[in-house]
Amino acid sequence: MDGAVNTTGATPEWRSAMIDVSGLSIGDLTSKVTSVPGGDAADDTDGATNGNALAHCLRRLADDLANPGEPIAGFNSAL
Amino acid sequence: MSTAALADARPHRLSDAALASLGAGRPDRSTIAELKKSQLSRNLLLLHEIAAVVGPGPLTDLAEAERANPARVRELIARPLFGVWAASCLRDLQAGRNPDVSHLTDIARAARIPRQQPDKSLRANHNGHSITVRVDDSNPLREKLGLPPAPPLDAEQLARWQRTFTEAWRLLVTSVPADAEVLATVLDCVVPVLPDPAARGISATSADAFGAVAISEPADATALAVGLLHETQHSILNAVQYLFDLLDKPATLGYSPWRDDPRPASGILHGAYAYLTVTRFWRTRSTDPLAQFEFARWRAAVSDAAGGLRDLTPAGARFVAALTAEVRPWLDEPVDPGVLRLAGSANRDHYLRWRLRNRHVDPAGARELRRAWHAGEARPNVTSELRPAPKRALEASARLDLTHRFLRGDPLTGPRGEPLTGSDGDVAYVRGDAAAALRAYPDDWVGLILAGGFDVAPELAAVLSDEPDRLAILGWLS
Repeated sequence: MDGAVNTTGATPEWRSAMIDVSGLSIGDLTSKVTSVPGGDAADDTDGATNGNALAHCLRRLADDLANPGEPIAGFNSAL
Repeated sequence: MSTAALADARPHRLSDAALASLGAGRPDRSTIAELKKSQLSRNLLLLHEIAAVVGPGPLTDLAEAERANPARVRELIARPLFGVWAASCLRDLQAGRNPDVSHLTDIARAARIPRQQPDKSLRANHNGHSITVRVDDSNPLREKLGLPPAPPLDAEQLARWQRTFTEAWRLLVTSVPADAEVLATVLDCVVPVLPDPAARGISATSADAFGAVAISEPADATALAVGLLHETQHSILNAVQYLFDLLDKPATLGYSPWRDDPRPASGILHGAYAYLTVTRFWRTRSTDPLAQFEFARWRAAVSDAAGGLRDLTPAGARFVAALTAEVRPWLDEPVDPGVLRLAGSANRDHYLRWRLRNRHVDPAGARELRRAWHAGEARPNVTSELRPAPKRALEASARLDLTHRFLRGDPLTGPRGEPLTGSDGDVAYVRGDAAAALRAYPDDWVGLILAGGFDVAPELAAVLSDEPDRLAILGWLS
């Protein structure tokens, strides 16, 4: 679920559908690339993700790429 | 580590307090760090997906470079224009095109070279607050930021940018030190772009390029300070939206106080969020009538635009509630009545002109309006519909230019009493002489509605533009 709020901990927190791979090396991420099982994101209560959550994350990333929208351009409010 | 490690990776999380602080435009350093980590994660996932299509071969060099110098490789792939390249590469691959992946080898090569000072950068320090941003004026990827890039800066141009940047930083640290700190943490590079002759200054942010600002050479330090605040907010919101959907129906079109064309709800949220910190900046300059005009104008626009958003997700509701809670107390702060009148007029003027441009009465409704008018009947219940604009619209406003002149204390008319811009009606209206404006406006529906205080949809009045008595028509439509 995107933006699920978890209120069971000491402080409420918002859990993203996007997986944190910032701790993985490029070698780890690319050396054994395999297809990830499909299906909707599973609700992970303990924080660990599974193949479904990863698949959901990658689908969401693909959707963002497919619908990038226009760059947000604004005019300065110079007077 | 293996793909098992990938499958075991955990989702990004934000505390409720962190999400609320982002909505209020007051994130602390650790919250920005979490956003930056998520953007690095995004770029790594893009690499994973690229490898899934082309195989791991093209990434071998980069993986080896990372083993030798992991921090340096992380730094390079976290850069905004790397995100632009990775997203573009994957889009090409998914579309069946054959992108050049040699950029990965270039990054690996760069990682092996001892770290050097960037060729060009902007640096400033004021009262213990310092900032350094790279100037990226040669990378071909900068063309993908949405605006035509300027040619590489020569020494004189760079020195001019530096002088303006130094003064802009002094303004920011003096006026909004917490926002200045956020800016210094988020902003990675400035990409100079060509000026737009139709605009005073132009700037853009891409969702693929967290921390990059494409911006034309600013007119002055204040314009740069405001532009950087504005674009940094876009970057932050893009990063939040990478993590969480904030709107269930982001494409629904509506009115944005910052654009002349209909905007999707996602764009309206971007406008409100960008102007939140811009408004906070103007708020601090209470002795300057121009700044107070901007403050009064944008506090209302941000509050109305954010408050009007519908179909918010739970995360979106939390974010927008924090945004509106930040701006609404500002609505009660005192502003000089004359300045307040002009700010309210400018907002209403923009809204009416937007309606006139973007809302239309269908032919049957138009026939019915004309028939009823000629028959002397009561106004029929005719409505209008929104038409999406084919492209971005930018409409000059003589009344706004005159308002700025008026607030600066500059003359509005020439030696023979002729308006320096706009019409006699515009000059009278800006001076607060509504009666003279009503007499002077022959055919400006919006001007007549403003000066007469009519509550009329201008697109309905426009149906009767061939009729002679415009004030009578506006009275009939009220």
